[in-house]
Amino acid sequence: MEKKTPAKGKPSFEKALGELEKIAERLEDGSLGLEESIAEFERGSRLARYCREKLDEAERRIEILQKGKDGAVEKRAVRVKPDTGEIDDDEDLQGSLL
Amino acid sequence: MEPMEDHTYSVSEITRLLKKSIEGNPEFTSVWVKGELSNVTYHSSGHIYFTLKDEQAVLSSAFFKYANKSLSFRLEEGMSVLTLGSFTVYEKRGNYQFIVTQMRLEGIGELLKRIEQLKKRLLEEGALDAARKKEKPFLPRRIGVVTSPTGAAIRDIIKVAMRRFPNIEIVLAPARVQGTDAVASIVRGIEELGRPVHSIDLIICGRGGGSFEDLMPFNEEPVVRAILASRVPVISAVGHQIDHPLSDDAADYSAPTPSAAAEIAVPVKSELVEEIDYLFIRAQTALAARMTRVAERLSGIAALRCFRNPREIVAMRELELVDLEQRISGTLKDRVAAGRQGLLALPDLYRLWRSEARERRSRLDVAWGAVEKLSPRGVLARGYSLATDERGRIIKSIRTVSPGGSIGVMVADGSMGCTVNTIQREVHGGKENAGEGEAKL
Repeated sequence: MEKKTPAKGKPSFEKALGELEKIAERLEDGSLGLEESIAEFERGSRLARYCREKLDEAERRIEILQKGKDGAVEKRAVRVKPDTGEIDDDEDLQGSLL
Repeated sequence: MEPMEDHTYSVSEITRLLKKSIEGNPEFTSVWVKGELSNVTYHSSGHIYFTLKDEQAVLSSAFFKYANKSLSFRLEEGMSVLTLGSFTVYEKRGNYQFIVTQMRLEGIGELLKRIEQLKKRLLEEGALDAARKKEKPFLPRRIGVVTSPTGAAIRDIIKVAMRRFPNIEIVLAPARVQGTDAVASIVRGIEELGRPVHSIDLIICGRGGGSFEDLMPFNEEPVVRAILASRVPVISAVGHQIDHPLSDDAADYSAPTPSAAAEIAVPVKSELVEEIDYLFIRAQTALAARMTRVAERLSGIAALRCFRNPREIVAMRELELVDLEQRISGTLKDRVAAGRQGLLALPDLYRLWRSEARERRSRLDVAWGAVEKLSPRGVLARGYSLATDERGRIIKSIRTVSPGGSIGVMVADGSMGCTVNTIQREVHGGKENAGEGEAKL
């Protein structure tokens, strides 16, 4: 499996969610001391917040690549209906990279 | 031979006869002809004109719009084809023409053989090994799609992806998915989307269903190689019922339709939100249970008789001792005195318990502090209340309030305005009056 290192040592969403689950399990089995329990809970709380932030990172953008005049690749927005994802204007979906 | 008056035809007469004899002849009607395509012309009217040829002859042919509508591949020079059609004579030009109604690629068997050979080669190279597959990100942020901009595939992918994850980002590399430049255009799309500048973390490459010929680009070596070489994980999404194309074998994941690919690519956001909340609540509940256990142990210790009133016990034992002392002989006196010493050590034990209790108490305070910080509402719901001063700041010490002052008290379902009647200072678990009564509404 290849590189899956997200930016700057931050854990991936999947890893953070897995950690949160482990924390819930450890707290539930009751073997931790009180201080450890509190520390674990605080870490879990941070992880939960991090996961929620991760889910909101993307910005709902639909784009199409185009071969520009000088041969460089350009991006153009494709307008869609936000509730259904239907294409607003078929004119947006045209062109080629060749 | 001399020309004979009554056996001489005009050009149109003889041409008409020729036409009649050719077009009326079942031997020239609905016949299969195989040959190589040349001079292919796609006319703006939608008709296609070409010449069928072999080594010795050529046949001028027309494939009219009504008949070529269902054609599943693009005609190219040099293609070997099988055509079904009938002959007509075009009087004005004095030529005959083959009117095609159906066309098939000749040598599908050869194509299949070529695909088989490529697959065998790839297997030998180890290019299709499971170990070489790249893992797709669990939560992709930006998805690249290589498909036709005009087809249904991209529309399906956008709809499905946005339904599952409303704020997903999608970048389309428009490609031709059939015809002469399909292969080059698909390869270009995969390569372009793999450039780091686009920040794509997953590529879907494919098209809707079609005939064997339609799907052929996804069996071609350059496309297969581009998928294998992609830095970004690829989902092959070529609509098919029976035989899957080689792109499925080469890709890291494969789906039977573009919609299915979008489902593989994009998780359902609302389910993830629920999962996070569920795990957080589990952790919260477990911590609350942990603290309740500590609190119960603490009150258990406090309920011990010796803890409630250890001096009473000591005094009772002392009385018993005095009684004993009076009744038993002097020879036992020393031993009794030793026992007495032991019993008098009880207050030390009491002090020990007390400090232990104090320590647990302070740890419990820390615990509640943590919970309050994280979820004040949850704490209020458990029957606690929160007092604030006139400026809305939380009252942490009696030093910040004075008798007669106004304070606010917040409970789970609302808040109250209160007047401070008295103030009491807490001293080591007991209370020291600094005034009288309680806060009153």
